[in-house]
Amino acid sequence: MIQPESLVVLLVGLPLLGAILTFVYPRAATAVTAACAAGMLGAASGVAYAVMVGGGWSQDLGGWAPPLGIGWQVDGLSASLLLLTAIVGSAGAAHRAVEGLDQPFFWPLWLFLWGALNALFLGADLFNLYVALEVLALAAVALIAMAGGGALPAAWRYLLASLLGSTVYLMGVALLYGRYGALDLGLIAGALEPDLPSALGAGLICLGLLLKAAVFPLHFWLPSAHGRAPTVVSAALSALVVAAAWYLLVRLWFGPFAGLQGPGPDWLFGLIGTGAMLWGGLLALVQRRLKMLIAYSTVSQLGFGLLVIPLAVGAGAESAWRGAVVLVLAHGLAKAGLFLAAGSIARAHGHDRLDALGGMGAGVVLPWLALVLAGASLIGLPPSGGFLGKWWMLQGALAAGGWVWVAAILLGTLLTAVYVFRMLSVVIRPAAPVPPAGGGGLPGALPAFVLALLALGLGLAAPVLEHLLSGDAMTGGPA
Amino acid sequence: MIYLVLAGVLFVIGLHGLFVARHLLRKILSLNVLSAAVFLFLVALARQAEPLDSVPHAIVLTGIVVSVSTTAVALALLVRLSRPRGNNAAPAGKESR
Amino acid sequence: MLVFDALLAGALIWLAWQATHTPGLFRSVISFIVFGLLMALAWVRLEAPDIALAEAAIGAGATGALLLSALGRLAVTHEAGTPWQERPDLYFWIPAGAALLGLLTLAAWALPTPGLGDDVRRVLPDSGVANPVTAVLLNIRAFDTLLEIGVLLLATIAIWSLGRMPMPSAPAVRSPALTALGRVLFPMFVLVSAYLLWRGSHAPGGAFPAGAVVGAGGILSILAGAQPWLTGGVRGPWRILLSLGFATMLAVAWGVMALGQPFFAYPPGLAGLIVLVLELAAGLSIAMSLVALYLAGQPPDHWGPEAARR
Repeated sequence: MIQPESLVVLLVGLPLLGAILTFVYPRAATAVTAACAAGMLGAASGVAYAVMVGGGWSQDLGGWAPPLGIGWQVDGLSASLLLLTAIVGSAGAAHRAVEGLDQPFFWPLWLFLWGALNALFLGADLFNLYVALEVLALAAVALIAMAGGGALPAAWRYLLASLLGSTVYLMGVALLYGRYGALDLGLIAGALEPDLPSALGAGLICLGLLLKAAVFPLHFWLPSAHGRAPTVVSAALSALVVAAAWYLLVRLWFGPFAGLQGPGPDWLFGLIGTGAMLWGGLLALVQRRLKMLIAYSTVSQLGFGLLVIPLAVGAGAESAWRGAVVLVLAHGLAKAGLFLAAGSIARAHGHDRLDALGGMGAGVVLPWLALVLAGASLIGLPPSGGFLGKWWMLQGALAAGGWVWVAAILLGTLLTAVYVFRMLSVVIRPAAPVPPAGGGGLPGALPAFVLALLALGLGLAAPVLEHLLSGDAMTGGPA
Repeated sequence: MIYLVLAGVLFVIGLHGLFVARHLLRKILSLNVLSAAVFLFLVALARQAEPLDSVPHAIVLTGIVVSVSTTAVALALLVRLSRPRGNNAAPAGKESR
Repeated sequence: MLVFDALLAGALIWLAWQATHTPGLFRSVISFIVFGLLMALAWVRLEAPDIALAEAAIGAGATGALLLSALGRLAVTHEAGTPWQERPDLYFWIPAGAALLGLLTLAAWALPTPGLGDDVRRVLPDSGVANPVTAVLLNIRAFDTLLEIGVLLLATIAIWSLGRMPMPSAPAVRSPALTALGRVLFPMFVLVSAYLLWRGSHAPGGAFPAGAVVGAGGILSILAGAQPWLTGGVRGPWRILLSLGFATMLAVAWGVMALGQPFFAYPPGLAGLIVLVLELAAGLSIAMSLVALYLAGQPPDHWGPEAARR
């Protein structure tokens, strides 16, 4: 049997190798990417299976143990996000291959993005995470800019926000290194004391990550970047890149910074999350373009994920923790499906203005179907993953008596339902004439449909998810 | 110690420049000052450690290479942005953040 | 020496302010380049000669060239009024900046800075090199360096994806002195970098400054009017050469697994050789990528007379 440790190596090495190959031999790009995608789906499933069977583990790179060396850690949280990345990455690549645009540099950039995400989900070293964040940001910026025209200013804003975020993050890392002489998450977690340098360092790191995650009120760069990027890029940005920043924030908050937890920061994060939920939802309501509506929905859905910080302490913590992770997974699948479906619809119609789109008709049946299914998961209708996540989070909040957060979640869900229905009200319009095969036909919409189905079916996998995430409840993995 | 304070001052200058500068090139300069401040902070810490700590040195070398790469991408993007092309919304030089 | 440090700090603050806050973009860019050079002095004072070399070549040299060439290609280089808004921002920024500075200083004051100097020294004999910085970069934290070389390749691809390189690659007005200088200097740059590379295993130097110096030399020769032989097409060796450093690092990281080692763990006895190979690879990558980054776009597939005229 293959060691799970080597599967992890594959997860980082394969996309990077693929990036080189697709750059040097662009002619073989789709074949190489397909091979990488297959390999990564397999490896990520293998890693998730290994975690389910034997629990998480950590491994040292190059045989150097921390504090000198760099470590990787694998647990239920990272394994599930690795799997999400593999699924969304493959679906996006498939959609792109069907689109058939002649932009050969897309493939190496896509694979770099993928590799950086995997490195992020594995990393247990503050500086290594910084380098991975920079790879991620550069690849994302170039991918956004590929849409040309109005996407260039969006790419620029994203680049600037991202670089500012990572520099602030690095300043925090410097403070923590000066305080503890370590960069490894586990070592810092063991040594942390609530003094000024630690608090300032942790504060700067969190600030940088909040900026990168586009958390309200630092979300100014997100909607235009996600709304104007090429379709598959929007899908990856909203489903994965934002999740990566959320992941890192949560990983650090419940890992090394656990010693700084208290009612103050909990309330702060909770209020930020609630603000994001409401503000993003309201703005999604007033958007005129389909893709922009979906982009603002990301701001709002991220707010749900952030509520894990006030909820996953004390009673009901484990349930809230599980719920938040499932919510982020479900959001990733559903949001990627929404963007891909919206892309198919927009290509069929030649635009994505909500007031002028036709309903479900010949040529766009499958995309609209995907949109409906993914929308259901976003709202949280049973049996979707969104339902399961919210259910567990609510259970946690009720157990802890966090009535404020219960109200916030319900209000946010209501807003989500309203803007999703606004989007779906287009379905029942009379179908507009669509040029034959304008939307890339059936194969173009298939990835979106599969993603939407997965988001919907995620709720049925509750026992598996519970088992997968039970080993690492909030401890941030093996310390 | 003087270098730690210097790093702090440069950090604040870079941050301020990034937020208030109008021209986009100036924002890139500010970002570079900002990262120089962080690098200085790291190496000044390494100097205080006993014995001299080479890990921050390696980190900063990596950081400098990463920083020149991001600066190059930012500049290439900026040059593309500043070309008047159709109704390209935001000409460089006048830009909201 | 304290006086020197204080003067240096004062000059750096003044230059940083010039670069970010005073009118005139050209002046700001020049201030930033001088800032980089003075930073190199600061690195020397902080006993970080490796960084000083890299900063002079990359921070001041290559970044400076990038900034200047971008400035020459910008459509809008004038700034209306003061370079920054004069709104009552200051009522926010002065207290906020002072508070941040105060917090940073207080925190820095309290830092015990344990450092890892002892740990590095202890494992240095096993690392294959005598220079601790090289040991950390290419052995102990080699995965960081792998990703960093990846960033260089990624930045090149990102810039190529933005479009063809803007022409001409050299400034319109050429000074004959620069042309001659470029011709004479390039071989010297190569020599210097070979020396740095050789030195790097036991003293300050190594792949990073060496690669940066060759790259800076390449940029200088383009400035002097030499044809940038780098082509952007699929044919020709350049895409392979640009990826070679990254590919080599990846191959080593995986290759050791074939020898029964964990990912990136060099077999004992081979460490010295592997680090040397990686140094060459990393140096090559840095040099080539800096030239590619300077060109600010995908170069033409052929460098014929028509390409130069376009």
